[in-house]
Formats: sequence, C-alpha cells, structure tokens
Amino acid sequence: MNTMRTLTNPSRREFLKSSAAGSAGLLLTFYLPAMAATADASEQVFNPNAYIFINPQGDVRLVVTRSEMGQGVRTALAMILAEELDADWSRVKIEQGDCDSQYGDMTTGGSMSIRSTWDPLRKAGAAARDMLLTAAAQTWNVSKDECSATGDSLIEHKKTARKLTYGQLAIRAASVPVPKDVPLKDPKDYRIVGTKRARVDGQHIVIGEAHYGIDTKVLGMLYAVVARPPVFGGKVKKFDATRALAVPGVKKVFEVPPVEMPPLFGEDRKPDSGHQHYLWGGVAVVADSTWQAIAGRRALTIDWDNGPGAEESTEKQRATLTELLKTSGKELKKIGDPDSSVASAAKIVEADYETPFLAHMPMEPVNCTASVHDGKCEVWAPTQNPNGMATALASVLNLPQSALTIHITLIGGGFGRRLCIDYGVEAALVSRSAGVPVKVIWTRDDDIRHDYYRPISHHRLRAGLDAQGQVTCWMHHIAAPSTDSTFIGGEVPDTGGTEIAGTGLPSGTVPNYLLQQSFLHTAVPRGYWRAVDMNWNHFAVQCFIDEIAAAAGKDPLALRRQLIATKQKPAGGTDNEGDAPVNVDRLLGVLNLVAEKSEWGKPLPAGRGRGIAGLYGFGSYVAHVAEVSVAKDGTLRVDRVVVAVDCGQVINPDLVAAQIEGGVVFGLTSALYDEITIQSGQVQQTNFDNYPMLRIADMPKVEVHLVPSQESPGGIGEPGVPSTAPAVANAIFAATGKRLRRLPFQTQELARS
Amino acid sequence: MNAISITVNGQQHSVEVSPDTPLLWVLRDTLGLTGTKFGCGQALCGACTVHVDGEATRSCTARISTVAGRSITTIEGLSPDGQHPVQQAWLADQVPQCGYCQAGMIMTTAALLAKNSAPTDADIDEALGGHICRCGTYQRIRRAVHQAAAKHSSSETATPTRAATGGAR
Repeated sequence: MNTMRTLTNPSRREFLKSSAAGSAGLLLTFYLPAMAATADASEQVFNPNAYIFINPQGDVRLVVTRSEMGQGVRTALAMILAEELDADWSRVKIEQGDCDSQYGDMTTGGSMSIRSTWDPLRKAGAAARDMLLTAAAQTWNVSKDECSATGDSLIEHKKTARKLTYGQLAIRAASVPVPKDVPLKDPKDYRIVGTKRARVDGQHIVIGEAHYGIDTKVLGMLYAVVARPPVFGGKVKKFDATRALAVPGVKKVFEVPPVEMPPLFGEDRKPDSGHQHYLWGGVAVVADSTWQAIAGRRALTIDWDNGPGAEESTEKQRATLTELLKTSGKELKKIGDPDSSVASAAKIVEADYETPFLAHMPMEPVNCTASVHDGKCEVWAPTQNPNGMATALASVLNLPQSALTIHITLIGGGFGRRLCIDYGVEAALVSRSAGVPVKVIWTRDDDIRHDYYRPISHHRLRAGLDAQGQVTCWMHHIAAPSTDSTFIGGEVPDTGGTEIAGTGLPSGTVPNYLLQQSFLHTAVPRGYWRAVDMNWNHFAVQCFIDEIAAAAGKDPLALRRQLIATKQKPAGGTDNEGDAPVNVDRLLGVLNLVAEKSEWGKPLPAGRGRGIAGLYGFGSYVAHVAEVSVAKDGTLRVDRVVVAVDCGQVINPDLVAAQIEGGVVFGLTSALYDEITIQSGQVQQTNFDNYPMLRIADMPKVEVHLVPSQESPGGIGEPGVPSTAPAVANAIFAATGKRLRRLPFQTQELARS
Repeated sequence: MNAISITVNGQQHSVEVSPDTPLLWVLRDTLGLTGTKFGCGQALCGACTVHVDGEATRSCTARISTVAGRSITTIEGLSPDGQHPVQQAWLADQVPQCGYCQAGMIMTTAALLAKNSAPTDADIDEALGGHICRCGTYQRIRRAVHQAAAKHSSSETATPTRAATGGAR
C-alpha cells in the first residue's frame, strides 16, 4: 500500500521555530514529517505543521493533527509532548486542528499516528523545555546548568530555592532561539509516558457533551438524506418529487450527480486511470429536520438505470474466484523451485480458505455537514482523511484549496470507513444545490449498503513436507478484488503486488516459496477495513500452519517456533509492507508469552480447545490464544482470548489494552457473524439485525499482556484484529477435529450426532 | 401539526412536530440535545436510550405522541454535575473508546441500578443485551456496572429519592 510505504519513511528534515504570538506567550511551531510525500521536502521546511502554545497563565496547548475515533490519539500525543516538556499533566490541553496544509498529511490510518509523531513531538517538547530553562536562567541571571525542570511546569534554581512557572516564563522563552538537538530523556526517567492516564475526552463523553460530526449545528442549517443508487454504478434515470415535496418540512428535492473522484493517495495517478472511487449520486431530500427528510425520501419515486453492476451476485463472485484459483495468477514472489519441490514432497497439504465482503459499521453512521456559498466551502467532517477530502472538494467544486475550511470532528468509530471522502463531497454538493448549510445524515441502511467494503477473498495454499515432516515448500495464491485501486488509482489490478500483508512469515522460513495473485473485477466498492489485507491473508496463513502441524503430527506452537527459528533474515521481507523486516526474537517473544499466560498445553475438557496465531504488523508483534467451547449441537462459544503484545515503548498501557480488547471484538464479530452478500448488484444487508455485532453476553474474557520494551513505538489500532479469527479457527479444530476454512464460521458444520 | 408537550430533564417543552416523529429526532433536531445518539433507527443498537418515567427507552422508535406529558431524562440530565455513580464508574474504569454508544449504555445501566441495586452478570447481559459497542468495550462495561452498583447502593442510603428515579432529576 503506497501510503504505508511513504508513511514509514518520513523525511528526516525537522524544523522548529518559535515566535511570540503578540504578547500571548510561547508559540512553538514544529515540523512533523508528512505522511505522504506530496511535494518536494525542501518546500516544507518553512511550512511547520504543528503547534505547541504556552500562555502566561501556564496552560500548555497542543494542536492535534490526527483524528480521534476512540483510539486515544489525542491523549497519547499530549502525553508524549508533556513528557519531554516536563509539563504538569493537568495543565496540558489539546485542540483539534482543522485541515491545514501547514500540518502536513493529517491522515489517520495504518496505525501510524504515534509512529509518525513520536520523534518530532518529543524533540519539540525537549526544545521547548530547553527554551524555558534558558529564559529562567536569563531571568535569574544564573547559569542555565544550575536550572532544572521539576516535572510540574516549573523551572527551579535549587541553590537559591527560586521557582518560576512555565506561564511566567512563556513570553521570555518565545524570544530564545530554538535550540538544536536537545538530548531526549532517558526512558527510565519517564513520568508520563508508560503510565495509565485518563482519556482527555472521557468526561465529555459520559455527560453527553462530546460533539461528534453528527452533532454539528450550524446557523440556518437544514437536514438532508440522499436516495443513492441501489446497484453500484447505477444512475438516476428519472424521479418524481411531487409526493416528497408535499411532506411537511421538506424544502427541496434535487439530483446529486455521480462523480468520479481523484485518487486519495498517490496523486501521481490521473483521475481517469482506472481507480474506483466514486460518489454514486442519487436524489437529495432537504428538510427542516432529519425525520422530515427521511419521510420525504420515502415518498420519492425514482426510476434507476442499474447498469452492468446489476448482474453481480455473491454466488457468481465466489464461482469466479474459485475459477481464478485454478489459473496460475500473477507471480509475485518466488524462492527456490516450488514446482519441483512440491512434486517430490513426501506429503502434500492443501487447503482453500475464503473470507467475505465486510462493512465497517461504525456506531456513528456516516454523515457530514457542509456550507457552500460565494465560492467558499466549509465542512464539519468526521474524517480520517482531511487532506484527501480537501483534494476531492477542490476538484469537484472547482475551488482553490484556499477556499476550503475542513473542521475535523470527534469520530464515533472510523475503522477505515472514513478514509473515503465520498460523503464529504456529497454533503458539499447538496449544500451548494440547496443554497444553505446542510447536514447530510446516512441512515443505517444507507451506511451499510453504500460502504467501501473489505473485499471478498479466496486462497489456495499448498505445502510440501519431506519424510521427516519438515516443510520444504509453500505456495499461496490469493484471489480478491483490489482495494488499493480505490485509493491509489492506476491499474492496480494489472500490476498487483500490493495487498499481500500477512503473507510474509512463511516466505523465508521454507526453502521453496511461491506467492501468486489474481484480481476479481467488480463494481462493489472496496475500502480499507481495520488491519486491511493482513486480515484475510493472515487468516489463511495462520490456519494453514495449523493444518500442516496436524498433518505432520506436530504441536501448532512448536511448528511456529520451528518455522520462525529457520527464518532467513531478511530474505523473507516483512509481514506488513513498509515495516522493517521481522525481528524473529520479538515474534517468538510474544508467542512464548501468550503460550505461558494461556497455559498452552494444559489439557482441557472434551469439547474445548485452544488455538494460537501470531503476527508482526504495523510495527508491533501480537499473538493470540483463543479458548473455545463447542457444544454437541455445534454452538460455539469463545470463552477467553489471551493476547501478548510487544509494541515497543508503550505510551499509555490502558489505551493499548483497550485497543487490543476492541481489536479482539472486531475480529470476533467478523469471524462469527458477518458477511455482506450481493444479489442483483445490491447489498442485501440493511441493519444490525441481519449484520449482527458481538454483544455483551458473548464477550469473552480478554487478557492483554504487554512485553516491556524501549524499542520505537509500534502501531496498536489494527494489529489486535487479524489473529483473532485464525486463533478461533485453530481452537475449533483443537476442540472438535473439524477445520472451518470459511468466514464467517459456518458453525452448523460443528454439530455432532 | 399540533403542539405536543413533553418534559425533558425537568424542563417543559412544547414542540410542533408530526406525531409520528421519533423522540430521538425531537431531542436532537428540535431541542438540540445531541447527547442522545442515532445508531440504527430500529431499536437494534441502544445508542439512543433515554429514560421515560424512569424506564430505559429507545428514543429512535418511541413516537413523540406516545411520550407526551411524560418525564424524559437524557444523558445531559442524568446528574447535575456528571457525578452519577454510573458516570463515575465509567470514568474510573476508562470504559469509552469512541464513546458514541456510551450515553445509551449509561442510561440503561442507571435505569437497571434504580431497580436492581446488585445486578448479576446475567442481569447485566439481559439489560445491556440490546446495546452494541463497535469498539468492543463490553468487558469494561461489565466491570463498571458492578462498580457503579457498589457505589449506587451506598448513595441510595444517603439520597433515596434520587436513586429511586435512577438518578434522574
């Protein structure tokens, strides 16, 4: 994935400058390496893109340039700053930054937020502290060496027992030249980083005062819903608004045109070069209230031109994927001579796996508020991708970027859905046509039926074993529609080679290896879904390791240890594009820890079983052991999930635990329940009744164990998800001897007579 | 449209909306009380839960005409100072992630504790079984409910009148 690649290679150029904002205090601007290289880096040096502000009252304010959607980024970034600044944590406040090119790329995705801000935020905090020390030394006319930061927003001169607050020093500090290369703290001196701190948004959430995108109120605002083509790629042929306009409160009804939007990432691609990121268009109903808009939409009569998408069905897609697996596919990676190796193997293990299309279903349905008038556009967007939204708005509205204001709201769950910006462009077009500010709300069925879905995928795996049961050959063929084509554009389906995260482990651990890829062409839109391609590839790979273990009569954990121990560094590459090569010791570390904590190997009663899966991804090492019970009638219960995590330096252990707990639930929900199915080109699911979520009664006990580490922080939003499904599949096999190879699990197959 | 009278968080309002309008949209769009969330529109997820005469009620399917004249409490009115035992327990255990579903969770829990000061796990499963948290905070929710119950029982002794209405004013 292009973004990931650029994300992990941030420019080393960093830049700090300070200014006195009038007489208001110390304003420190610093350069955060941009996530995507959008321009020549030399142009960005004088475009600092984040702010620290200390006012004479001693308040420290950090402008957060990422989106908060529950992962705790506002809290974590403030903690990093406060640590190096030696600030009083209770005086640190955050402010959500609007979309602004001076902040660089503000995308929140790829579990990158901490990784991309850890160094620059620490350096900025350390520089600011140093400037405050200089200001104190000047004030007291003493040597700076005699001054020290106490850790609670005070500079102290011990000899004379004098103290000055950061507020008292702020204005003088602003005139101090920005120091270079201030030494960073030794992790053993951390007071804030590595400790549990409450979320900065928590209080507002529990009293109902946290404002999400859907809570936006703008003077003179109306409410709208849009009837979108039921078939992907369909268009409005004609519509009759007579009855809709008769509904009380309905103000306007008009068509929203379909728009092909520019690629969101990788701007070198032309908008017409084959990528698939559309605003589908439809008919907007604008009213005095949401309910009136919904009532108006119900009264609409629309004649749709469904287009070729109407021919599609899940049944046909599955048949096509099955056929694709019979072809040779595009060869992506080849080590040794897999063909002759498999031909001469003493034993061959083969298995096919499949995963379905999935929707994101954040609890806050998709929505956006926009005000477009007089050549200006202002939006209030729950978005993970403000820069992409800016690009698309400028392109579609034909406005310069300077005419755009994008407010990034608190987000009621993102999971990748809000990396797509269709709904922002749609809201802007609706506001422009309506001539007033409009909040466009997607009802739940709008949300589920017009998502950008995690793609359906089929996998064929083959392994050759020698007479001693050693794995000599591994072949993996992935067939799926491309997701990157939505975001990067270009002819991704014809080039391939992306969307293979999660396949990295076996390559390099076996002497003969082959990875092939085939693409399904479909009108069903695809998007990044929490942990993206690692979900489906990792499911197949981690289940298949267990199948090999069973065939070779080995313990699944022992086989993993053996495979990892033989990994030829770094020939196997990475498990997640853009990441550093796998550190086998850290991977072994989490497998061993999870085994210990889950009491791997300790016998369980009949009908119960444990399964293991582990990964390296998003810069972190995570291993799961799931413990399940399977009743005679096939009823499956996941009793317990133990997770070991090595994500390097932990910023806030409670936030890490929360992300893993949530990742397990996210993974379980997909493994146990969900499937988006297509018939006549339409999504059949409409709400939580036919697209269920894990609920409280089915919540397993989740235990999270962290490996103490001072390695650079890894990502944590996503890597808790992918091992969940294979760990459960492997546990089901351990409990029943039955191997479920399709998601969601078809548990009726588990019934015993 | 005739005016319909409702009492929300102790305050009387007269709203002119179609009688089939769900209470949710009256709260959010008409009264500007956006703490109550829209999640599904079909009483499937619990995000919109409020108290109607102390009973946890899905406001997305409760027509305004059916709650006329009744006392409605939303998350904004659960406590005067954000110090309801359930709110305190939610913060103590750092339950919320994105937080979008939590107003509904908190309102249902407050109503549960008003009737059952020491709920079992099965009671909690039953009361909160209609709620969805996509972030997956259920383990913390369960812990927080038990913790709130412990606090609630002690506050019940101190202020029986408030506890009797689930903390609603």
